Amino acid sequence: MGTSVQVTPLSGVFNENPLSYLVSIDGFNFLIDCGWNDHFDPSLLQPLSKVASTIDAVLLSHPDTLHLGALPYAMKQLGLSAPVFSTEPVYRLGLLTMYDQYLSRRQVSEFDLFTLDDIDSAFQSVTRLTYSQNYHLSGEGIVVAPHVAGHLLGGTVWKITKDGEDVIYAVDYNRRKEKHLNGTVLESFVRPAVLITDAYNALHNQPPRQQREMFQDAISKTLRAGGNVLLPVDSAGRVLELLLILEDYWAEHSLNYPIYFLTYVSSSTIDYVKSFLEWMGDSITKSFETSRDNAFLLKHVTLLINKSELDNAPDGPKLVLASMASLEAGFSHDIFVEWASDVKNLVLFTERGQFGTLARMLQADPPPKAVKVTMSRRVPLVGEELIAYEEEQTRLKKEEALKASLVKEEESKASLGPDNNLSGDPMVIDANNANASADVVEPHGGRYRDILIDGFVPPSTSVAPMFPFYENNSEWDDFGEVINPDDYIIKDEDMDQAAMHIGGDDGKLDEGSASLILDAKPSKVVSNELTVQVKCLLIFIDYEGRADGRSIKTILSHVAPLKLVLVHGSAEATEHLKQHCLKHVCPHVYTPQIEETIDVTSDLCAYKVQLSEKLMSNVLFKKLGDYEIAWVDAEVGKTENGMLSLLPISTPAPPHKSVLVGDLKMADLKPFLSSKGIQVEFAGGALRCGEYVTIRKVGPAGQKGGGSGTQQIVIEGPLCEDYYKIRAYLYSQFYLL
Amino acid sequence: MASVGQPPSLKRRDAPVSREGDQLIITPLGAGNEVGRSCVYMSYKGKTILFDCGIHPAYSGMAALPYFDEIDPSAIDVLLITHFHLDHAASLPYFLEKTTFKGRVFMTHATKAIYKLLLTDYVKVSKVSVEDMLFDEQDINRSMDKIEVLDFHQTVEVNGIKFWCYTAGHVLGAAMFMVDIAGVRVLYTGDYSREEDRHLRAAELPQFSPDICIIESTYGVQLHQPRNIREKRFTDVIHSTISQGGRVLIPAFALGRAQELLLILDEYWSNHPEFHNIPIYYASPLAKKCMAVYQTYILSMNERIRNQFANSNPFKFKHISPLNSIDDFSDVGPSVVMASPGGLQSGLSRQLFDIWCSDKKNACVIPGYVVEGTLAKTIISEPKEVTLMNGLTAPLNMQVHYISFSAHADYAQTSTFLKELMPPNIILVHGESHEMGRLKTKLMTELADCNTKIITPKNCQSVEMYFNSEKMAKTIGRLAEKTPEVGETVSGILVKKGFTYQIMAPDDLHIFSQLSTANITQRITVPYSGAFGVIKYRLEQIYESVESSTDEESGVPTLRVHDRVTLKQDSEKHISMHWTSDPISDMVSDSVVALVLNINREVPKVVVESEAIKSEEESGKKAEKVIHALLVSLFGDVKLGGNGKVVINVDGNVAHLDKQSGDVESENEGLKERVKTAFMRIQRAVKPIPLSAP
Repeated sequence: MGTSVQVTPLSGVFNENPLSYLVSIDGFNFLIDCGWNDHFDPSLLQPLSKVASTIDAVLLSHPDTLHLGALPYAMKQLGLSAPVFSTEPVYRLGLLTMYDQYLSRRQVSEFDLFTLDDIDSAFQSVTRLTYSQNYHLSGEGIVVAPHVAGHLLGGTVWKITKDGEDVIYAVDYNRRKEKHLNGTVLESFVRPAVLITDAYNALHNQPPRQQREMFQDAISKTLRAGGNVLLPVDSAGRVLELLLILEDYWAEHSLNYPIYFLTYVSSSTIDYVKSFLEWMGDSITKSFETSRDNAFLLKHVTLLINKSELDNAPDGPKLVLASMASLEAGFSHDIFVEWASDVKNLVLFTERGQFGTLARMLQADPPPKAVKVTMSRRVPLVGEELIAYEEEQTRLKKEEALKASLVKEEESKASLGPDNNLSGDPMVIDANNANASADVVEPHGGRYRDILIDGFVPPSTSVAPMFPFYENNSEWDDFGEVINPDDYIIKDEDMDQAAMHIGGDDGKLDEGSASLILDAKPSKVVSNELTVQVKCLLIFIDYEGRADGRSIKTILSHVAPLKLVLVHGSAEATEHLKQHCLKHVCPHVYTPQIEETIDVTSDLCAYKVQLSEKLMSNVLFKKLGDYEIAWVDAEVGKTENGMLSLLPISTPAPPHKSVLVGDLKMADLKPFLSSKGIQVEFAGGALRCGEYVTIRKVGPAGQKGGGSGTQQIVIEGPLCEDYYKIRAYLYSQFYLL
Repeated sequence: MASVGQPPSLKRRDAPVSREGDQLIITPLGAGNEVGRSCVYMSYKGKTILFDCGIHPAYSGMAALPYFDEIDPSAIDVLLITHFHLDHAASLPYFLEKTTFKGRVFMTHATKAIYKLLLTDYVKVSKVSVEDMLFDEQDINRSMDKIEVLDFHQTVEVNGIKFWCYTAGHVLGAAMFMVDIAGVRVLYTGDYSREEDRHLRAAELPQFSPDICIIESTYGVQLHQPRNIREKRFTDVIHSTISQGGRVLIPAFALGRAQELLLILDEYWSNHPEFHNIPIYYASPLAKKCMAVYQTYILSMNERIRNQFANSNPFKFKHISPLNSIDDFSDVGPSVVMASPGGLQSGLSRQLFDIWCSDKKNACVIPGYVVEGTLAKTIISEPKEVTLMNGLTAPLNMQVHYISFSAHADYAQTSTFLKELMPPNIILVHGESHEMGRLKTKLMTELADCNTKIITPKNCQSVEMYFNSEKMAKTIGRLAEKTPEVGETVSGILVKKGFTYQIMAPDDLHIFSQLSTANITQRITVPYSGAFGVIKYRLEQIYESVESSTDEESGVPTLRVHDRVTLKQDSEKHISMHWTSDPISDMVSDSVVALVLNINREVPKVVVESEAIKSEEESGKKAEKVIHALLVSLFGDVKLGGNGKVVINVDGNVAHLDKQSGDVESENEGLKERVKTAFMRIQRAVKPIPLSAP
């Protein structure tokens, strides 16, 4: 019997909520994706919190909030402690996305769901894999392998294999090859036991290719008219594609309007992306191999990590790509509020906003005339507030110190600290720490010091061990010198010379974020609500990079899984795709509700036999594409070690119904016949050969998964020589077994 | 199991089918008992792989190539290149463009990027006559289109050959390839190093043990000094030479170890401000070009360097300046020059050597392995005199130091690596024969109790091994609803894809594979104007089962012959026949058509034919007559004996044949068998064919 497979959605079914699914294979629990939305609503994670502790491994598919946003929170608060697997770009860009999210949130609220340290420690346990690397989970007989998904850099279709049965998780894939990414390889998988996929785009059909001109026209028109263009984008995902498109367009038309890419992590993002060429599309790798020309050496784009830099930029029309596509917070939010009331400006959406966000509201048709927004700012405390704050801090410190000493006593009683167990390989932790601290930069180091002086003890659930050397590493040693103005000067030169600077984050980020929020200065958030008149132009042009409804259907019918699970997508889209698949793909389509466990164990019968030498020497294979086929009649025997084996049959083989194997395409048959000198034409769905003979395909076409998979072909004609000739040609298209 | 021998030829590919398919052949075409022109051929189950495709640095022209004429390049499925060094990759353009090779080539991203630069440079530098040129720049550019890239650990499958690669240390992008053909795993290490250095990771230990490990043996039983000691010796030599006003020449391969040495030198200079006025030159424009590659593929390097990137680019040297040619070099006072080639064969390193070799203040540091037959190898033994490029001899007074930084495994690394992997078969390549011999002996004693075979084939000497491959098939779907008992039969379609076998029912074929089945229904109209009943009557004479009924839709009478072919009277003038294609039905339909046409022609004779009904007895008699006649024609003297027996007399040997049972009695065994077979065949020919089919 097949491997037992259960799927339990934890979030993101029948709606566009973040993705998170529990897939249990023979009792081994995978959490596939661990998403959150831009609202960071903890109630969404309710189902996850119930099962977090039972999870054995986490697989991440894309580096955006919807696919991995909840990881730090789940690791810290929900007791998730499993190893995480992802590709290198998903790890790196995911980390940067989370930093950006945190910094954006922190700017406008007392954000306390997780901290930068939580992000670091959550990402510490990530094992990075390369595409089509078969990773054997020790002891389970399970192999996981990431494959190219398209959509985002590093985006993954996960293949989980046990005992030769494949479970494939493919959401947000893209079939089309783009500037920086290859299309998905999902179509190369055939007949997996289970396919889990999304219905997000099932009802959307991509507009024809003129969208590119529309995109460029809209931008250049606004800029020429003296307006500004805002593109709300994600931190490190689709924005890469947009950057390349803009770069090309600017170069092609030698435009000189400034382009700004504004996120808290923009410079590190581009630095890392420059070193991810292996993960990108063929055209990019090729151009690097031949001319060492890195596509992400951006010539027209200025990277900003701080809004004041944008404010200081020279006046005049400009294009800004700012993070937080949902406009809920962050740079894009602030810029929108500033620019919305000017009719000359353009806000260009390239993806559908998350449900219930400002972006989604603005994408409505017709767009709202005015929207209410909350403007928040973080301001340093002054005067009485500061004094009050300091007093409170001293009090807290004392309390904490007391608590800490108590905890320490307890810990010293237990001879083995839990930290040691958790860290496993000290080398690994060390390396990651060094890495992480390089990433997260100075301000963070400063904060650490405070915390440690406070006698802060990490909660037992925290994965990050806080060894003293950690602090030293980041604070006093090499990195202490990072904030050396000279370094920055060199860096700027690097940029100018278009040399590549790769690796960690550079000083700009440090400076920027330091000045922003994370310095130890006490501060508070001041908010005020205001109504913004939306007078600017709003345009939505789809650059999501997801397969559209039509190609989803094509891919699904090609992959033709034995069982299909549909998740993520509006109720309508899910239902639509379900009906389509039931008719054309396979008879087993499941659409589970949240927390509903469905059993997709394959009802496949199978047993293994050994093929004896004697039998094989009598078998003559016929080659058919990748396959070789033969008819066997064999007698069952047993080998010494009790295996069933097949031996040549001793009595004459019983006659069997003959089988014609082959896939006849009428379109291929036509040129074949005409090459043989027969007049052929299509008439009324049939192929007319010569004067009298017709060949037709009848019966349900398309469905491969179930029902009758046999093609029905009818050849008709009067008794004549042509009839037999054409029949012989028709037969030659098949193998007879 | 393993034997070394000269096979007749490796080109014979199609001949061996079943038994010999299990033979695994490994033949070094280069790097067998030598260092240079790495190229190892492997074939198993009709799949062929070539590892590496290098040239021998000590030879030029065709002589530098591996022995490609031993193999048929068109038969090779996959060519895997471990790293970009000339002795591993430089004959690739030749092989791709000038031979019949049509398989696929793979290497890592970094290797491919550097390969192009390195070989373009090689073509420019090597000063050989046009006829001796193995390939030109065009060939290199064309080869780039054919080379495919793979990432570390990425599993690729080509024609059922599965392979993936591990980090090998050695140089940027260097890989060790693991190949899996039908469950037999072969690891080819290429050049590898298990020691982490300033920028590279150490070679990984594969998680699976291979069945065969093809491993380099460059350093044989030698042991490297610890890295810090080597670095100290290196910097000490330079320090003292410079302090005495001498010049230091470091001949090195343009890429690979040179980057490591530059990292060391730059760091040393940073720590010694007193040297800041002493120039370090790096005479390789090539290396400058490759910097972009070094800066991009940091994912292939170690954590240390990746963290350094966070601050500033470690490959942007502060104290080292590039040098394009000797003309730009003003030889005044002490200096350090690193120049290629590493073997001092020609080029800038040789030019400088010729100038500096007679001054005893100067020093030459040879930083890595040097190939036999090069000047660098010669001067290690410190001869009194050397021959200059212009043919004159000069005294060798300069100090020669050999400090190995080459990232090849030493004995300690090799033996630990092998002990952890525990491959049952080890093949040593890429080593001078005496080093290799010593390594073999030493490994033999160390691995004595593990039953390991160690083989050191020479070039073109094949190693043959047999792997007992059990072919397993998975029976799935409807066919597997019940697991059969011993003695039962299993019938179905055997589907082979790569090296996996599945047995399934024809109806399941489209479920478990991309293949589909088809039914062809044939419908043919035959002109016939006679009575439908006549056809029925005639058919009944030939076929056992003829059912008549009426068509439900049109109400016309139909006939069904053997449940296969249906005849229908469409109109006064036509009958139509339809059936589903398969050989027997086609045959039945043909005979029906013939019969119908016959009736058309012979309408008047209908009555005559009707007389000819024969009783069963008569037809039996007729059959007997035929049998008798046939036996006579076969054996000559055939008489009817008693009890329905036939007596056959052939050259005095007598056989008695029982016509009822087919038993033969005879004293002559040969005759007995012949008669028996003959009778059986006649019997089959004369008696009607059973038409029962499932």
